[in-house]
Amino acid sequence: MKTRMFSVLCQNVPGVMMRISRSFTRRQINLDSITVGIEPSGLARVILTFKADDRMAEFMRRILARAEPIIDVEVIDPERSIVREIALLKTKKLDEEQLWKVVQKVESAGGKILEDKGNVLIIELSGSHEHIENVVRELGPEILKEVARSGQVLISRETI
Amino acid sequence: MVEMTGAKALFEALKAEGVKDIFGIPGGAIIPVYDALYDETDIHHILTRHEQAAAHAADGYARATGRPGVCFTTSGPGATNLTTGILNAYMDSSPVVAISGQMPNSVLGSDAFQEADMLSIMLPITKHNFIIRKVVDLPAIIRLAFKTATTGRPGPVHIDLPKDVQVSKADLKIPAEVNYQKVIKLDPNPEDIRKAVKMLVDAEQPVIYAGGGVIISSASAEVVTLAELLGAPVVTSLMGKGVIPEDHPLALGMLGMHGRMAANIAVSECDVLLGVGVRFSDRATGDVRHFASRAKIIHIDIDQVELGKNVRVDLPIVGDAKRALAEIIKGLKLQVKHGRTSAWLQKVKKMREELAPRMDYDEVPIKPQRVIKEIMSVLNDDAIIVTEVGQCQMWAAHFYVVKKPRHFISSGGLGTMGFGFPASMGVKVARPECDVVNIAGDGSFLMNSQELATVVENKINVVSCIFNNRYLGMVKQWQDLFYQKRRSGVYLGKVPDFVKLAEAYGAWGDRASRPSEIAPKLREALKCGKPAVLDIPIDPDEHVLPMVPSGGRLDEPILT
Repeated sequence: MKTRMFSVLCQNVPGVMMRISRSFTRRQINLDSITVGIEPSGLARVILTFKADDRMAEFMRRILARAEPIIDVEVIDPERSIVREIALLKTKKLDEEQLWKVVQKVESAGGKILEDKGNVLIIELSGSHEHIENVVRELGPEILKEVARSGQVLISRETI
Repeated sequence: MVEMTGAKALFEALKAEGVKDIFGIPGGAIIPVYDALYDETDIHHILTRHEQAAAHAADGYARATGRPGVCFTTSGPGATNLTTGILNAYMDSSPVVAISGQMPNSVLGSDAFQEADMLSIMLPITKHNFIIRKVVDLPAIIRLAFKTATTGRPGPVHIDLPKDVQVSKADLKIPAEVNYQKVIKLDPNPEDIRKAVKMLVDAEQPVIYAGGGVIISSASAEVVTLAELLGAPVVTSLMGKGVIPEDHPLALGMLGMHGRMAANIAVSECDVLLGVGVRFSDRATGDVRHFASRAKIIHIDIDQVELGKNVRVDLPIVGDAKRALAEIIKGLKLQVKHGRTSAWLQKVKKMREELAPRMDYDEVPIKPQRVIKEIMSVLNDDAIIVTEVGQCQMWAAHFYVVKKPRHFISSGGLGTMGFGFPASMGVKVARPECDVVNIAGDGSFLMNSQELATVVENKINVVSCIFNNRYLGMVKQWQDLFYQKRRSGVYLGKVPDFVKLAEAYGAWGDRASRPSEIAPKLREALKCGKPAVLDIPIDPDEHVLPMVPSGGRLDEPILT
């Protein structure tokens, strides 16, 4: 099933996140990621990613659009937007050989090493969802102890 | 701006909405509201005996009038007791505004006495819900709640009102304008209307399938005009009963599991099906793969979520039923002559006559079909029929000939046993000039029979006709048909004596044991000047037939 992205503009009122998330729960859809930011207008912008077929995706768009505090539901075409995710990675205590390998990997992936305490690294990584997935997979559970991810944020390339 | 408490402002806002009747029960967390009610001379409060009944009564009030029904409860158990009634209203798009007291803001989340997280509990079962955190927000939220309940597709709205907000004072003004930001598309797209007109003109065997949305939109006249113009029969959903006078030659009655044979056959054979204000619920369609399988389907609804949700739709039209139908009629008038005749119409007429259900049984114990016939013989066209849920409901839906919209009131989507009696109470409060009869089963009636106290104390003279078979009849029917007659957990036993039960509350009670007794005793019940219960022992082995089994084809019903 295809991965879908919705950008939902809604009033910033109590219960709005629950209203959105339960709509998916009820249709047995898992939200892969959900992020919220407050727009300069004071309205909330919620970015959702989930997997669904075409029919269910359109149904969910209508379900959300119907909810009272929701002002607009935009179906995101990743081609016309910049989509990014941030991850913070903590390694296990590494030996010298592992350390060298990780440093090289982080550099080639465009990441930053934020801390190195006794051969335990904290790494910052940003990029597309797939990019972060790849790096996390390549490092693997041998190296990584914890992974914290922001979920996807995006901004449209449209100028108006 | 006038300085007032939240409780006082609540009543000012309710009066601005034209509210005259409120159903409810007070409790600790809503005493300040009831204290303010003490001074209100223009608001009539009906103290129910259970909060669920208050919600159903408000729902019945709303369905009978189209105006929002209002109920009050306290926090915690009072508020949670509303939930069945609120979900019932939600499933059938009924505008109910429910207001519950809540513990003060300062203790919310601490598991204080009678504290329940009503914002979360009500969220999935309302069109929208609010908690009022500050008294200054109260006037605007109350007005917004009414606007939300009645705009577009109606539905229930719940307001959680903490006790400190009820007693707080502020300079308040009830806003004249409501800041409602949701955009509702009322006018259909003209291109869609052109396409619909063309499909209907080209149709040889058109059928109109009308539902509750037509009643909400006050579009009954448009449905009848369109049917006559097209020469198309009209079938309805349960919620659509009364859209067209059911004695009209083009009215084929209810569609679906317990629908009329003629309606089910017409839909199975039609080549264009115009669904308007319907949900295409599974109880109406049966097996969707075989539903109207020869037809192109046009679906008009104000809620775009409904379009294509349950059945494939060839032409979805978003818009208000009345406006869309009026546009279609305008387009058709240019193209077809009034009253066109066709082989289809001949067939419809023949089906309507030949497949008319039989009701003239003389047996004792009484057949339920005969009970409906007798009730119909007594009541005039202005009488409002309310039903409970189960066999009694389906007998009423199948056999009762309803002549007007908002004159058949039943729990459709949720199928709530115990709805009918308290709903009939709400209907009678809203329409005191009409005879109001609750068609009840003994099982359903017992689920809210405590409201006999409410109707007697408040002189709400409704009549309940109890189709008494001492069973949870519809479950028994399924067990008889699909579970080898293993009647498990459905026998209700020999008690109570419904006549004595009625009399214990000070209501009129009597029993009709022979078909010939029903009409005279019902007349007496209607004239007795009290709420009344007519106990009618019926044949416990009678099934609601025909029946399309769940997931079965409309054209393959069980007949015997």
